[in-house]
Amino acid sequence: MGFTRYVTARVAWAGVVTFIIMTVTFVFIAFAPNPEVKRAATQAALQGGDPTEAVERVRELRGLDQPLHVRYIDYVTSIATLQWGWSTMRSQPVTAALVEALFYTAQYSVPWTLLTITIGPLVGLYSSANKYSWRDHVATGFAFFGYAIPNFFFAIILLLVFGVWLEWVPVIYRTTVPVFSVENAIQLVLPVFVLVTGSIGGLMRVSRNESSEYMNADFVKTARAKGVSPLRAYALHILRPTMVPLSTTMVGQLLLLFAGSSLLIEVVFSIPGLGRLLFEATIAQDTNLVLGSILVFVLVAVIGNLLQDITYTVLDPRISYDDR
Amino acid sequence: MATQRPERFDQVNWEEVAGAGRFSLSTNAKGLLVTTIPLLALAAYDWLVLDERTPTFEPVGLNVDVPILDYMFAFTLLLFAFYVVLPLYQHPRLTKYYWREFRRNRPAVVSLVWLGVVFVLGLVGPLLITSPEQNVLHSYQPPVYLSVNAANAATCAGEVVDGMCFGTWQYPLGTTRAGKGVFAMLVNGFGITLKIGFISTFIAVVLGASVGTVSAYAGGWVDEILMRYVDIQGSWPTLIMYLLIIYTFGGRLWLLILLLGTFSWEGMARYVRSKALSISEEEYIKAINMSGASAFRVVRRHVVPNSASSIITDITLLIPGFLLAEAQLSFLGLGDTSVDSWGQIIAGGRDALAFAPWIVLAPGLVLFLTILAFNFVGDALLDALNPEAAAEAER
Repeated sequence: MGFTRYVTARVAWAGVVTFIIMTVTFVFIAFAPNPEVKRAATQAALQGGDPTEAVERVRELRGLDQPLHVRYIDYVTSIATLQWGWSTMRSQPVTAALVEALFYTAQYSVPWTLLTITIGPLVGLYSSANKYSWRDHVATGFAFFGYAIPNFFFAIILLLVFGVWLEWVPVIYRTTVPVFSVENAIQLVLPVFVLVTGSIGGLMRVSRNESSEYMNADFVKTARAKGVSPLRAYALHILRPTMVPLSTTMVGQLLLLFAGSSLLIEVVFSIPGLGRLLFEATIAQDTNLVLGSILVFVLVAVIGNLLQDITYTVLDPRISYDDR
Repeated sequence: MATQRPERFDQVNWEEVAGAGRFSLSTNAKGLLVTTIPLLALAAYDWLVLDERTPTFEPVGLNVDVPILDYMFAFTLLLFAFYVVLPLYQHPRLTKYYWREFRRNRPAVVSLVWLGVVFVLGLVGPLLITSPEQNVLHSYQPPVYLSVNAANAATCAGEVVDGMCFGTWQYPLGTTRAGKGVFAMLVNGFGITLKIGFISTFIAVVLGASVGTVSAYAGGWVDEILMRYVDIQGSWPTLIMYLLIIYTFGGRLWLLILLLGTFSWEGMARYVRSKALSISEEEYIKAINMSGASAFRVVRRHVVPNSASSIITDITLLIPGFLLAEAQLSFLGLGDTSVDSWGQIIAGGRDALAFAPWIVLAPGLVLFLTILAFNFVGDALLDALNPEAAAEAER
């Protein structure tokens, strides 16, 4: 199987995964008790009306009286045509709400991702070059600390110290400041810092262990003997083979954090991003918005996994396409 | 199984080692059976004879009720005793070797001591210190030796000096808004943590090991489907799914434990599968197959024990994930509010953070230390149980 065919098959599989996950979500929501119907029944009963009739009306209005397969086909076509419905919580189309939220999520996600993928491998490499020195121990200690401290707990503590006690950063996130301004940078320092410490630890450990494997490899010794500068040896001869296993950990770690921690971080720092949107939509039982934001998270996860697999094969030409 | 084995190979009584008959059981299995049957009997009695509101031990005069979760917990504890602790005692030579290797990692030894403290406190603590009662008069008491402005505490349980309320030994770690002692809540939280750790891990190991071995042995389309499912589960945003399910069905502890265990075994299944595949190529497995061993026997006696090292290291990564997920969901207000888990205490103390930081700090630090300890222990176990990987990394 050639590279093109492998990529095609992999992309097709990514599509299938998205489809399956969205189908399961649909079935789950279809069989879970519908809050709107319940609300309508309660309201009708309170106002002295007939609850059964009210339930019927709401079901008809929402299209819930149609058979399951019709609703499913509707659902799939509306996802494909980007008509994700109307959000009752935000009183705007779901897609508009998602784009707005994405704007705030991107503001901390982009610096976080860039910092993680540059600092993590570099510190790991530095650590393995100075193995068992005090610098290595400090870096390892930091890695373990960042990895082990629950992100949301760390965020609360930092917010308490720097926001409430020292008053260096605002406690409430302000959406009014321009994106590229000092105020915005100041209010994003803590979330980015917390996320970077959380995600960097795993990368540092993997890159330290992997690169120490190559520190004394024959090809590195040869390169050094030929007079290659240490910097070049580290960058081209050690870092490159290290990046192969690292790329897997990297994408996996970032995705895991994105789906989990970003939600908590947004709640703690009151950033109106995607995670908080999903959380609030779940609480408000805004079905369309819940489905839409879940789809965004699923897409991010699936595309991330896809990119990871493809980079893996690009970086390591030895991997055969047949046994994935 | 023989506890004193002869040191020389030709003196080994193979009948005794391998078990003579088809239905002979090892000491471990016998022990597990003997202890599980009374447990099952008690559970059946509780479920069939007593009505729902009668506490389990009322007929003998004790007002102690055993919830369903506790039966599961007791069973996993028995499994742990008979299949992790007892084998370590049965094989002293190997245990000594592992301990020698493990001891080389100092932080891991300290971490192991801490995990031991968590284990003992979690088992014994909730029996000695019952879940604290509300006492609105004693809200926001500071921890012992510390003081807060007396205006913040409703009525000070300790001394008031210059308008500052001092903590007392009645509440060593202070109290919450409802006047519950943080220390007593924390101790009960140890118990909840143990339950989450043990039961979820048990579910994950059973599912992961079964799927891994079935996949490796069946091959063909079964393997393909199972592994594709594992892929899907791997790319699923689990926390978001927990959020959705728990919001819909309510955040009971058993539901959370079930969810955590059921959707976290994909890494384990991959490990076990690749281990099973590589083992089935080994000469001794071919020999066993030729002498007529069933597939189940090969799996039970060779594949699972051989993948134990990866399973155990995977567990040390899984448990912190479970604890973190519970804390995160509790923090979002979706946990089980009827139990004092660490996450619940953190969530409850968040509003009072500025003037009563001990409510958040105490459980947060304990959670942090526990996760840290699991990481160190996992690191050291990886080196001790899997010397090949360590040798590869050090080369």
